[in-house]
Amino acid sequence: MNIRRKLLIAFSIYLLLALIPAAFSYRELSAVRKRLKPVEAAGDITNSLLEVRKNERNFLLLKDSDSLQLFRKQISMLKGGIDDIEPDIVKEIGEKNYSLFRAMISRYEELVQKLADNFNAQQKTVASLTELGRSIEHKLPEKEIQTFLVLRRYEKNLIIYRDEASISTFRHTYARIKPSSAAELPIYASVAEKLYSLYDEEKAIDPEIKKTAAEIKTFTDSLLQVEREDIDALLAMSMNLLLLSLIAVIVIGAIINIRLASGIAAPIRQIRKFAEQLAEGDYSQTLDITGAKELSSLAEVLNQMAVRMKDTVSSLELAIKNLHGKQGQLVEAEKLASLGRIAAGVAHEINNPLAIINEKAGLMQDMLELSPHFSQKPDFQALIDGIIGSVTRCRSITHRLLGFSRKMEITIELFNLNDTIRETIDFLKKEIQAKSSHIELNLAEDLPNIKSDKLQVQQVFLNLIKNAVDATPEAGQITVTTTRLDDGLVRVNISDNGPGIPKDVLKHIFEPFFTTKERGKGTGLGLFVTHAILKKLKCNISVQSEVGRGTTFSIDIPVNPPRAEEVAA
Amino acid sequence: MSKARVMIVDDELDFARTLASRLQIRGYEAHVVESFDKTIEIAQELKPEVVLLDLRLPGISGVEILMTIRQFCPGTEVILLTGHLNLEQTIEGVRLDSFHFIMKPFDIAELVQKIDALRRTNV
Repeated sequence: MNIRRKLLIAFSIYLLLALIPAAFSYRELSAVRKRLKPVEAAGDITNSLLEVRKNERNFLLLKDSDSLQLFRKQISMLKGGIDDIEPDIVKEIGEKNYSLFRAMISRYEELVQKLADNFNAQQKTVASLTELGRSIEHKLPEKEIQTFLVLRRYEKNLIIYRDEASISTFRHTYARIKPSSAAELPIYASVAEKLYSLYDEEKAIDPEIKKTAAEIKTFTDSLLQVEREDIDALLAMSMNLLLLSLIAVIVIGAIINIRLASGIAAPIRQIRKFAEQLAEGDYSQTLDITGAKELSSLAEVLNQMAVRMKDTVSSLELAIKNLHGKQGQLVEAEKLASLGRIAAGVAHEINNPLAIINEKAGLMQDMLELSPHFSQKPDFQALIDGIIGSVTRCRSITHRLLGFSRKMEITIELFNLNDTIRETIDFLKKEIQAKSSHIELNLAEDLPNIKSDKLQVQQVFLNLIKNAVDATPEAGQITVTTTRLDDGLVRVNISDNGPGIPKDVLKHIFEPFFTTKERGKGTGLGLFVTHAILKKLKCNISVQSEVGRGTTFSIDIPVNPPRAEEVAA
Repeated sequence: MSKARVMIVDDELDFARTLASRLQIRGYEAHVVESFDKTIEIAQELKPEVVLLDLRLPGISGVEILMTIRQFCPGTEVILLTGHLNLEQTIEGVRLDSFHFIMKPFDIAELVQKIDALRRTNV
């Protein structure tokens, strides 16, 4: 899985963790809001009920039609409020509770109606009682009127006090009156009894109304209480849920974060270690990363890089090694070139005084020849010969040195090596004949023409063949062989059956001024010059010698010329 | 045939004078000139048949002297005497078609042979 996807998933989990409690909270809060409506409704009803109760008290106190009217209005408002309760709130409260509530209200209303009816009946009854009393008063005889007036006073008492004492006093007084006095008298008494019974009824209704109202109040209070408790519970639950989700976000978030971070950081640490190893030059490690796709592909690229670095470094090392070799060759060539320049300078400086010595000695000889009677002529002649001989020796050295410096220049031409060897033998004819040496030529016929500095190659052959002639005894055997080698080389072997070269001498033979010839015979420059020339021409020389058996020089010459820049060096 | 007139141009007087004596012993008319300034003047006066020229005179290159002698004394042969002959000078000499040289020190017989040979070809 790649890092991007990992991060997205982690973010989604976070979002989910935040959304779930939010959704729950929303649900809870909307439930709370829903619950608030019945609470409000219950509140409204409670308020309305309080109004009703106030009017009830007024009515019960005043018992007049105005307060009754107000009372009834309040009741109908309460009923309207209850009827207006929305069905979902009804559901919330519970159908049973609602209908119970309504029944309570109806009962209350009924009681109030009853009270009102009672009240109307009382008023009518009081009116008819008063009317009857007045008409009886007019009809009664004088002596009976006094007693009736007492009765009427008790009638007034009954109307005012409405109690049992008043009615019993009334009854008692009525019993004392002669029944025949007036026909309407019993009716009057029965109306008074009826009034009393109405009062009695009212007394019974009164507490019942109060009781019902108290019940209604208790009921709405309990409803309100239940709703409040529900809301409290919901709010508490919502709070708990929020707290829980907060903890979940912190804990799960921390776990996800730690896992995600370590999932990214661990491979990066691995990569860092790998890079450090690369920096230290350890290319043998391979980075193995699984998991994040970006990092595993980075690891793949780094592995490839390490392989390429390894290759590059090893090829660089090889190049540096080669360079060191080349540098050595250059230094060697430069050394030879400066040696050549020094040699030339020295040779020139020596040649001039040498020429003076030569000419002076020559003049002495001339003068000696012109003096026929000089007695010590033979002695002088020997002395002069000695001087001139020494000059000749010096000259051969300086001329070699000059030749050496000149031989550091190269002129490339195409020539046949076999022909050149034959020519060289021809040059040395005199020396070969003088020692009766046998020269054997084994020249390969398929030899390609080579491109090199002919004169210098010839100088090499001249040196080596002359050395061979010098080294072998009378009638010595010298063999020159040419062979075509594979890789663009031609080999020339020059062998002799001379005394051979001891090992301790062999390692010095290419050094300048090293000679085994007797003093005056060799300059010690022949093989040095030979070696220098061959190096310059990119040829290779090797020597094999066995004391008592002879010596073989092998020269490998490239068919094609050494490259210009290499020669220039 | 009389012996030739030879002019030796060399700043090494010890050498030049000794060589002149030896040539005179051998019957040559030999003159020594030690500096280049006088070379042309004396050469025009003496009209030498052969000039023996040291290639390295102070202040001037041998090749320049060679060219000047060629210019002012057309019939005169030049033999270069030198203790040092490097390749550039050799090539330059060949180009000027005057490539006769003897390296110091030399055998007088060799020089005499060369002078006579040049004189013969000129005559």
